[in-house]
Amino acid sequence: MDTSRFQFIKPGDLPDYRDRAGDLSEVSWPEFMLHDPVANENWHELFDRFSEYQFALMDTAANRMAAMGNSLPFHWDADISDLPEMGWDWVFLKAVEDHKNGVAPNIQSAIQIAIHPDYRSQGLSTEMIRAMREIGRSKGYEYLVAPVRPNQKSSYPLISIDDYFKWTNHEGLPFDAWLRVHARVGAKLIKPCHAAMTIGGTRADWESWTGMKFPQSGAYYIPGALNPMEMDLEKEEGIYVEPNVWMAHKT
Amino acid sequence: MSLERFQVITPAHTNYRDLVRGLTKEIWPEFMLHDQVANENWHELFDRFSDYQLALYDTQNRRVAGMGNSFPLRWDDTLEHLPEGGWDWAFQEAVRNHRQGVEPNVHCAIQIVLRPDYRSQGLSMPMVQAVRAVTQSRGLKSLIIPIRPSEKHRYPLTSLDDYITWKTEEGLPFDPWLRVHVRAGARIIKVCHESKAIRGTRAEWEGWTNMQFPQNGLYIIEGALNPIEINLEQDEGIYLEPNVWIVHETG
Repeated sequence: MDTSRFQFIKPGDLPDYRDRAGDLSEVSWPEFMLHDPVANENWHELFDRFSEYQFALMDTAANRMAAMGNSLPFHWDADISDLPEMGWDWVFLKAVEDHKNGVAPNIQSAIQIAIHPDYRSQGLSTEMIRAMREIGRSKGYEYLVAPVRPNQKSSYPLISIDDYFKWTNHEGLPFDAWLRVHARVGAKLIKPCHAAMTIGGTRADWESWTGMKFPQSGAYYIPGALNPMEMDLEKEEGIYVEPNVWMAHKT
Repeated sequence: MSLERFQVITPAHTNYRDLVRGLTKEIWPEFMLHDQVANENWHELFDRFSDYQLALYDTQNRRVAGMGNSFPLRWDDTLEHLPEGGWDWAFQEAVRNHRQGVEPNVHCAIQIVLRPDYRSQGLSMPMVQAVRAVTQSRGLKSLIIPIRPSEKHRYPLTSLDDYITWKTEEGLPFDPWLRVHVRAGARIIKVCHESKAIRGTRAEWEGWTNMQFPQNGLYIIEGALNPIEINLEQDEGIYLEPNVWIVHETG
């Protein structure tokens, strides 16, 4: 990374930070991923309650947001191996609830590291993880945990996450590129969280999100999804349950 | 696009073999080029059934826009009994009939394709009509085709038996390629579930698809109509392609 060109910023550093961050989310994810109700109902809390845990990497030469990192603090007394199945949705809600109740946090969780498509494969993800970990370290937390989205799982939607997260490459590192980035900077794989996000929509919603048709009930392969989506026409509802993998960095 | 620009040519055309060279590689995903029956018998199209091969020649750009491959065969039973082995069966049966001097009574097309840059320009119907003209000129009354539905690859988890019942608002087949044929007067007979069988070692499949197959099981492959099945003990991956038997009655 060319350090003179890229600069870390915080939400307060740019008047249109939230707009730019929103644009970056839109180009980083398949459309259906932008319809997780927990994310949509609570996104503002990142800025209202946890602003110092949000940051972005600016390409100062092009005045563009190249990447962004979102995380939040919460309270966890049990072992990190007991972190819940509901991964992403759970940790977001837990952090907001703790903050509302004045419970002091003792651990940090990543919820997103998004790299703009034009800036991928340049090593920015490693820098983003390090920067995120630095936030937790400065607060004195022992761990940065993350319900990681293994992005290449989308090419293997029929393989269970329990099998997939164990796949390794010839160096013995995780097969999956995102799991590997975390592992390379020292994170440990904990376990899958099978219902990290739950995205529901009507048949019409799913048709517009995917450009596909769903004329009958059943499982459908959706480009970009880690598991098939289940469509139930009697209930007029399609449900996608996204599996992630809990990982932990010692800060 | 003006149709006068296009001319139907046959292998009798001096440059035919040069003009169609590379066409199938442009059109099909790599794994589709590894059907054993096709590879062992392709030359028979020119050795035995040369008059049944045609291409649509773009006289303006001096390129072939599409190609139609077919042959005659003998079928005395009802069309409802056409075999599950679809494409692979028809090719072998036609060669067998010809070798044994059995008089053919049915015309069968095994490939009607357009180059990607000639699609969505109204050329599908002229291609189908050019192949049907061969049926008529040979005095055969039926043109049968084990059709590869063009959009089924987006729905690999839906059975083809269900998929062919999907309709547009006008009551025509949902699948665009099936729709072209039905619009031209064809009737859907039934699914042939093992129309092509493509086998390869794990290493071959990894080379064909750019994926990895670290464990046994089903995998969704880009461009395949159904998942493939990998068996590591036998070091083999098998793809059984389902097609749809359709018939154009021309007599």
